Amino acid sequence: MSRIHFIIIITLTLFSFGPLRAQQTISGTVLQKNGTPIFGANVYLEGTYDGASTDEQGNFSFKTSETGVQTLVVSYVSFQPFMMAGDVSQLRGVTITLKEDFNSLDTVVISAGSLEASDNSKVSVLKPLDVVTTASALGDFVGALQTLPGTTTVAEDGRLFVRGGDAGETQIFIDGIRVFTPYTPTTNNIPTRGRYSPFLFDGITFSTGGYSAEYGQALSSVLLLNTVDEPDQEKTEIALMTVGGGLGNTQKWENSSLSVNASYINLAPYIAALPGRNDWQKPFESIAGETVFRKKLKNGLFKLYAAYDTTNFELTQEDIDVAEGVSFKLKNNNFYTNASYRGDLGRTWKIQTGGSFTHSKNELGIIGSDIDNTENSFHFKLKFRKRFSNQVKLSFGAEQFLTDFSEDFSNPSVSANYGYNSSISAAFAETDIIFSKEFALKAGVRGEYSELFNQFTVSPRASVAYKTGKDSQLSVAYGDFYQQPFQDVLKFQQDLEAQKTQHYILNYQYVANNRIFRAEAYQKQYSNLVTFNTPMPGFESNFTNNGDGFAQGIDLFWRDNQSIKNVDYWVSYSLLDTERLYQNFPTAATPSFANTHNASVVTKYWIEDWKSQLGFSYQYGSGRTYTNPNVEGFLQEKTKDFNSLSLNWAYLIDPQKILYVSVNNVFGFNNINGYQYASTPDASGNFNRRALRPAQDQFFFVGFFWTISEDGTDNQLDNL
Amino acid sequence: MKHLFNITALFFLTIAATAQTPYQKGMQKAFDMWKAGEAQEAGNLFERIAQAEPDNWLPPFYAAQVLVFDSFSEKDENKLVPQLKKAQDLVNDAKAISKDNAEILVLEAQLLTAWIVFDGQKYGMKYSGKVSELYNKANQLAPDNPRVVLGKAEWDMGAAKWFGKSTEPYCKDIKRAIELFATFTPQGEFHPKGGLEHAQEVLAQNCK
Repeated sequence: MSRIHFIIIITLTLFSFGPLRAQQTISGTVLQKNGTPIFGANVYLEGTYDGASTDEQGNFSFKTSETGVQTLVVSYVSFQPFMMAGDVSQLRGVTITLKEDFNSLDTVVISAGSLEASDNSKVSVLKPLDVVTTASALGDFVGALQTLPGTTTVAEDGRLFVRGGDAGETQIFIDGIRVFTPYTPTTNNIPTRGRYSPFLFDGITFSTGGYSAEYGQALSSVLLLNTVDEPDQEKTEIALMTVGGGLGNTQKWENSSLSVNASYINLAPYIAALPGRNDWQKPFESIAGETVFRKKLKNGLFKLYAAYDTTNFELTQEDIDVAEGVSFKLKNNNFYTNASYRGDLGRTWKIQTGGSFTHSKNELGIIGSDIDNTENSFHFKLKFRKRFSNQVKLSFGAEQFLTDFSEDFSNPSVSANYGYNSSISAAFAETDIIFSKEFALKAGVRGEYSELFNQFTVSPRASVAYKTGKDSQLSVAYGDFYQQPFQDVLKFQQDLEAQKTQHYILNYQYVANNRIFRAEAYQKQYSNLVTFNTPMPGFESNFTNNGDGFAQGIDLFWRDNQSIKNVDYWVSYSLLDTERLYQNFPTAATPSFANTHNASVVTKYWIEDWKSQLGFSYQYGSGRTYTNPNVEGFLQEKTKDFNSLSLNWAYLIDPQKILYVSVNNVFGFNNINGYQYASTPDASGNFNRRALRPAQDQFFFVGFFWTISEDGTDNQLDNL
Repeated sequence: MKHLFNITALFFLTIAATAQTPYQKGMQKAFDMWKAGEAQEAGNLFERIAQAEPDNWLPPFYAAQVLVFDSFSEKDENKLVPQLKKAQDLVNDAKAISKDNAEILVLEAQLLTAWIVFDGQKYGMKYSGKVSELYNKANQLAPDNPRVVLGKAEWDMGAAKWFGKSTEPYCKDIKRAIELFATFTPQGEFHPKGGLEHAQEVLAQNCK
């Protein structure tokens, strides 16, 4: 063996496998803004293997054989990534301060006025499942919200009455797009329900005041519902209930999915078994179908939602002036469709756009008179969002609302056709500035032009939030809100102006260890409310915009999921002081839909051994005003307090079958919603009265819900 | 000369065996740190390798796995949420590189399980259907992968336990997973191969 050969081989080996290139050391320290070292940050040269983690003092040091200008990257969870270009030889002893990531959970959130039901926000007060597991709600998303502070118990109505506002002052939006007819139509003393299935939504924001400039045409409140982006799996759902049934199916493909639901409700069997106070000729019947199609596109998500439902019923209701009772029949057809797209336009721009169309047709018959009306409404919205930095964002957009309403009235002696066309154009801009994790500001402005009134309004909105401690924060909000007069007035008189409110809100929130405490004080000023001088709005009425009013109060909320094992409960209390001069009020008074004290207690108890959730919810409302014509004054007396305790029991037979039983007003409290006085006095000069009692004092519900998922047949749990 | 050739050949072979590429060196070091309990540093290193090797699904896969495994013991929501979100980003990176990969689907199912374990009431309804779907899809892609068999059986067992039903029917799946571990050959260097010890633990705890 030749020595020379050997040496050559060794040398070659050294050159090719034992790099002798000079290495440089890169070193430094990574700190937080306040000087605290960051332990465990990842530091490296971009695109290379050279890097290290920082030690407990925040120091790092590593060797590299790279030369020239390289990019040094520092990253750590909850902080914004840091990048710095520099010559390798200069990257020594550098001090790097990482900026906090303002998307992280412990950043202050603007919470004045808004209550969320979602799982992606720290300020959530409800979880998505609460909507269907709250005892008094009976699967109605509106019912669950009525256990939150800021709402008033108006049991015979079923809609949302917020902070001294009428039900029409709350607007509902699905995926940012307006819903024009959110409730199933009903008649006096029979509470309505939300039209839409609670299972369609995975995020609900209920704002009781001071909301974003993006939303208009709402004096008191907005309810924002977001549909599910992507269903979790293919499934078929079957619901069998004492009041009807439902069938749903979801199909998924690579980038799209389709859900279809149909339901049929008929109260006939229930009323046959447990007749109430109404004399039904044709019990409530409704057929509804809804479908959601979702498609993921390259840079965004497209959703199409469509729902159709038809409802009819006919009944005779007691009336103090009409011995044989008042007959009422209704047939409603409602179609709603909503298409929306949201996506990215490049790195810092986002677009959100969509439109909705509503067609609603009512045929009503009231003691020999026929009223047929048709509403066609349209909403289109376009919104952009620009991110200037992690701390500064701007959004702006424009929207258009169109409504065409027409009504035919006929009885043997009169017939008339009337209605209105309204067109409202709006533009809004709003900026979000996060000054620090402790301090954030949202400020915006909204301009609206109403063609009908030839009126332009400008509404400024602003809110700030300040973190007062690790788990607590304080927010204040201010805003001006405009809304056109309601349909019952506009159909007779269009020469009016928009009604206005101003909100002032102070909110304190404490969130820690599955416990939430919220306290909110507010003041609300109403102006330009519509007044008229007849018992009901009509052609002969003299309408003005001279009404005004105020509402002020305190809302408290406490939820605790921690202190008692397997028990989750929340308590809401609202104090409300309100008076207004509107409609045909002779003086300013507290309207009959508002009361001073409202409280709710909702409890859910999970019993492991029974695979059951037992829930109860108790609702209390202090007396509501009514006018007693036998005594001097207007809305001068109050009904007795309202009490109701509801119980429910959800039994999970297996992961796919649920049996649900609920009883509303278990103790059968005799609730009185108000009084109807005779229009003429009797022989002794006394006006007789009749108590307005709920149609049913109690309500029983039994439902069986069965989900069959893709692998349902081979899921062994079924075969056990 | 023949002798020399042999020595040379031997020499080169030895070098080939010991001279690792930076990728091999980095991955090995990361696994060593992880074994030594330095999970965060191991995770950081996997992440560094991921950004240097944009076409390899293994580094982001392991970077995510470090975070997911660590999440099961994390109780502070302020730490857990960003950590699991970061893990999801890494899983998405891995999925973008390697489509229809059963190993990644199993990891994603474990990631979602970590959310459910943290707060079942909040995340249970949202993610449990998705977890089942991921295991089913993984099972279609790789019915004989021991980690797929184990993960699916463990998930189904958890559901049965929760509903107070017998976990016995799943014991045969766990046993089958253990058998599959014995014969399983990873697709390549650093490809997932672990899980046998965990399968044995599950078997010992739940099956007689």
